[in-house]
Amino acid sequence: MEAFLTALSAALAPDAVLAVLIGTLIGLVFGAIPGLTFTVALALVLPMTFTLETTPAIGLLLGTYIGGMTGGSVSAILLGIPGTPSAAATILDGHQMMRRGKASLALSTAVIVSTIGGIISLVVMIVSVNLVAKMAIRFGPAEIFALVLFGLSTICGLSEKSLLRGLIAGVIGLMIMTIGLDEIDGVQRLTFGTVTLQQGVNLLVAMIALFAVPQVIDAFVQYYRGELQSIDAKDVRFELPKLKDLKENFWLMMRCALLGTGIGAIPGTGGPIAAFLAYAHARRSAKGEVPLGKGNIAGVIAPETANNAVTGGAMIPLLSLGIPGDPATAIILSGLLIHGLVPGPMLFIEHPDTIYGVYIAIIISYIGILTIQLFGIRFLVQLLRVPAHLLAVAITIMCGFGAYTFRNSVFDVYTMAILGLAAYGLMRARIPLTPIILGIVLGPILEKEFRTALIFAMPAVKWLTKSRRLEAPENAPVQPRTDA
Amino acid sequence: MGAARRDRVTGILLLAFAAAWVLAVWYTVPAGTSEIVGPRTFPLGLGIALGVLALVLLAASFVKPAGISTDDVEEDDAEGKALAGWLYLRLVLSLVLVIVAYGFLMEKVGFVLATLVTVAVMVGLILKIRNPLTIIGMAVGLAFGCWLLFGKILGAYLPPGTWISLF
Repeated sequence: MEAFLTALSAALAPDAVLAVLIGTLIGLVFGAIPGLTFTVALALVLPMTFTLETTPAIGLLLGTYIGGMTGGSVSAILLGIPGTPSAAATILDGHQMMRRGKASLALSTAVIVSTIGGIISLVVMIVSVNLVAKMAIRFGPAEIFALVLFGLSTICGLSEKSLLRGLIAGVIGLMIMTIGLDEIDGVQRLTFGTVTLQQGVNLLVAMIALFAVPQVIDAFVQYYRGELQSIDAKDVRFELPKLKDLKENFWLMMRCALLGTGIGAIPGTGGPIAAFLAYAHARRSAKGEVPLGKGNIAGVIAPETANNAVTGGAMIPLLSLGIPGDPATAIILSGLLIHGLVPGPMLFIEHPDTIYGVYIAIIISYIGILTIQLFGIRFLVQLLRVPAHLLAVAITIMCGFGAYTFRNSVFDVYTMAILGLAAYGLMRARIPLTPIILGIVLGPILEKEFRTALIFAMPAVKWLTKSRRLEAPENAPVQPRTDA
Repeated sequence: MGAARRDRVTGILLLAFAAAWVLAVWYTVPAGTSEIVGPRTFPLGLGIALGVLALVLLAASFVKPAGISTDDVEEDDAEGKALAGWLYLRLVLSLVLVIVAYGFLMEKVGFVLATLVTVAVMVGLILKIRNPLTIIGMAVGLAFGCWLLFGKILGAYLPPGTWISLF
């Protein structure tokens, strides 16, 4: 109790609250801008924590992480481009809702369910931190491979009109991610001797290319066709979701929050997998007049609840075992280490106040997100008033800068342009682009875990082969059966 | 272009891409030291899988050309009427070229100048908006707005430029 009160007074100090809120705002802005993910934001705010006390420093990092995870839905809904990979599944119905004139409803629903998902995951995290961490750490390569394969099965649901085209897209996505240095053998694959290709195609660059560039080209084509798409934003207003809609989807929210927390607790998985799995789950269980994929609110609720629930889940192995599940939590881990906090079982014994401080910072961050985004929604929807062709010019600039800034590499801008052209071609050929992203996100994990599982299983495989040879050599006489 | 014909073109292009991919993997990626699954296995298997799927797409376009929904065909026809093929191709390629040029300019003349030039070119030459106020407003607004937001407020690294460095 004493530790909790100490943590409470430290976390509610003005500097700590301000740090969390600034972090949340930075995260929201970075998350909302396509190409500028919260990972980039975390990398940028990390040096800022050097001069801060421990609690505000952790608060700044956590605020940025959580704000960024939520902010991704803003561009996913308004522009049809995911601000973060975790928001890719939100596009499917969120952007359709925007097209139906329900952008503010989709945005407010997204932020509310994100907060609910985050808070539920926090409760689950507090209650079951030891239990879930013990379970997650037992996951070996074979189990993670099976989970990723399960994640890939959502391609069936994302294939739009044709499963064949969905499979083609999924395979293309998996192919793209085999380019670069092979993680296990250190062999160069399809780099053609270039150093820049050794790191492979950056996920972020691929996402901008697949989602933003075809949209930009499409906006220009429509402008040339004389379809002046000055989006009518008169219908857009401050609109909270109906309590009835939230009640109807209450159990969906609960299931997706638990799914997200569970997925988040498994290192190497994260928001995109949770969001796509939640979306696939919603597809099976959603009700309502509008089908899923055409602007059903359940298509926003499911992925947004799940991807924010990942934040609580990801904290479990991070805090209790010191295992970061993704690049973002790896940066948070660095922040903790810089402040002399070594995550692991000892942290719970030596610094219980820090653990409580983390819990409180997460709650403050979600309150901040809810306040900032609900009040800011009216400002954000002003984007809709900008004519589509002029917005396309601004998006082109953001895409170019976004692709460049992740690795400060102009090569990534060129890659984005080429991949964007290819993506537009595929779109024109009616090949869905979302399964490509699924393949890109899951491909490296799928291959790595499959091969690692096989390497682990190699002695058993060898033993089996050897045993068979010993049992049945080529010229061995057939033993008469004695059990007759 | 009709839906079935488009499927045929897509199938042939994907098949050619898959063949090139498989050949490139076979000749440039070593099999590795692993006994079962090496670094070549996944890209090779995926290339073959794409080839098979492309063949299925190609075959399906011959077997049931009427299987495609008419909505798509109507949509294609409408677009074909509205925008001539060469104009369409020129527009798409010029946009991709602008993005490539933007990346090149960012490195050479820095973020602000590159953004000014790129936005002015896009608004003036591609969108063909002749109002100088719109062109200048968009170019200056975006260039300095992004510089202020990303560079100054958010502290992101903006390329300074190797030929000319304004900021």
